Amino acid sequence: MTDAAAGAVADAVSEAASPASRTLTADAWRTLRRRPDTIVAAAILAFFLVVVAFPGLFTSADPQHCLITESKLRPQGFGAAHPFGTDAFGCDMLAQLAYGARPSLLLALVVVGVSLLIGVVLGLLAGYYLGWIDALISRSIEVFLVIPLLLAALLLLSLFRNVSVGSGTFNVILLPATVLTMFGWMGYARYIRASVLEAKNLDYVTAAKVLGASDLRVMFRHVLPNAISPVTALVPTSIAGIIGAEAVLAFLGIGVRPPAISWGIMISNGAEWVTGGYPHLLLFPLGCLIATVLSLVVLGDALRDALDPRLR
Amino acid sequence: MGRYIARRCLQAVLTLFLVVFALHLLTTLAIQLNGNPALAFFGDRVPSASQLAAVEARYGLDDPCFDQPGNPCLGPFVDRVSAYLHGDFGTNLRGRDVTDIVATAAPNTLRLFCIVTITWLVLGMTLGSVAARWRGRAVDHGIRLTSVLIDAFPVFVLLVVYRYVFSVPLSDWAEDRFGRGSLPAMWFRPSFDSDHPWATLLVPGILLGLAGSAAFIRLVRASQLESYSGEHVRTARAKGLPERHVITHHVVRNSSVPVVTAVGLTFADALGGAVITEGLMNIYGMGGVLWEAVRASDVSLVVGVVTILAIVTVVVMIVVDIAYAALDPRIRYD
Repeated sequence: MTDAAAGAVADAVSEAASPASRTLTADAWRTLRRRPDTIVAAAILAFFLVVVAFPGLFTSADPQHCLITESKLRPQGFGAAHPFGTDAFGCDMLAQLAYGARPSLLLALVVVGVSLLIGVVLGLLAGYYLGWIDALISRSIEVFLVIPLLLAALLLLSLFRNVSVGSGTFNVILLPATVLTMFGWMGYARYIRASVLEAKNLDYVTAAKVLGASDLRVMFRHVLPNAISPVTALVPTSIAGIIGAEAVLAFLGIGVRPPAISWGIMISNGAEWVTGGYPHLLLFPLGCLIATVLSLVVLGDALRDALDPRLR
Repeated sequence: MGRYIARRCLQAVLTLFLVVFALHLLTTLAIQLNGNPALAFFGDRVPSASQLAAVEARYGLDDPCFDQPGNPCLGPFVDRVSAYLHGDFGTNLRGRDVTDIVATAAPNTLRLFCIVTITWLVLGMTLGSVAARWRGRAVDHGIRLTSVLIDAFPVFVLLVVYRYVFSVPLSDWAEDRFGRGSLPAMWFRPSFDSDHPWATLLVPGILLGLAGSAAFIRLVRASQLESYSGEHVRTARAKGLPERHVITHHVVRNSSVPVVTAVGLTFADALGGAVITEGLMNIYGMGGVLWEAVRASDVSLVVGVVTILAIVTVVVMIVVDIAYAALDPRIRYD
């Protein structure tokens, strides 16, 4: 018997054994595993995560070691000293791409992670307790929503431009991450609040309360698992959005700051060389950015389908 | 309805006040941490103490609270709000009024928004309707794939590729083919030309509209699918109306309310997109002014423009809410 057949039989057996115990998450997971596009997207993302974690695996060159005599070499193919060529300052492109992935993706993950946390906590509090807590939180959501994310980022980052924060991995993304988080949590809070309002009056929640469960337990054990699924589908798309925003900020020189490298900085440096006959300076970083964003969007789309029971 | 509008406006005034206060707090904190923005006025030169004091007085930075981190600077806040109420949003580093700059730049942004809105509506209505009409068929899947692809190319990427890769060859080709100064040659110009605003705004506007149209396609599809399964459509079909009539009169018309209001709601996102578009394509609009101000570290211009844009956003949100209440009789506010 081949592995695939064995897997199918095992699937069928487990399905027959537990027809009633399939949760929404398990269901969503099954749907996701069957779609080839999701698998490809996940593979691409996994690849870039490995690049973020261990850039040294992919290149032995030092991205900051640049020889101006070797500037603007064209791609030489794998095996040569500079497989992807060098940029206008003679830095190795492959090394820059590998080390530049870290700030770009780390920034996006940190921003979305922290804003999700803030959004979930505030949305849960507002939806569960209502009253003055809700008034306060809803009002702040409204205030922050009035200033679009990008405008706020431009304003604050140009205000804090001269503040020096050091050059560690987290230090280079500290300022953009803080600002983008500050203006990025409202969407999650609104979604969570709305679904908490819906979920908290369900019978089983009332039952849990009657049985004497504490507020905290009801919130995190009973209300939140029900309220979180529409937000989960937003996460990949938001990560993609932040990666794009980083590129814009880099173009203006207020995002991740040189000498640190990010894909955004590489795009903004490479853009002017295209008409000069060196399109690879733009196309390599842009290609990496598009591949990442596309995989995230595909994943988000699949998640939205898998988690929305109405579409089944 | 009248009371609803009045309440909504009062709420909006409160929100605006809080927004201005939040912006003030952030600016103050930045000045306290960052050092004196008046120094930016002098660039690389080192000013004498009296020159510095004169510039500080001119930009309202002479209050001692700006030297004490953590002080909310309520005195300058009151001054600032009263200046805003008199229509004074400060000046840029060269002493030109922000209101004056915005007034000359706003028409181009409005033109851009016209093109963007038309692109959204045309793409969204056509593709969304087609997808809903033939739900589950190949064309539906194709449109869905298209909208995922559109989502995957942020407006920034589209514009960078267009400006740096396609614009120059395209405009060379158009000049050869149609002659210098002809209309097609204008369309593909890599930069804005104030003598031909519509022609040079067309392509950037379409690209910006394209980038935001995926959400519209999904929205139109979802709201038309809801209409298709509605009872009024079943009735219309049951009484023998031709399918064409059912679609135009009962499906498309009924499902356009959320679409109209979505145009308003995506306004805030479009403002961000407009900043990117105008900045990258050198368009002299509000976003372009902001982009240049950020590049030149002209903080007072950035604060002024962002405040004005925040006010515009609040007004647009009120208009959307009122339009929603007026268009959809099922929604009652009291």
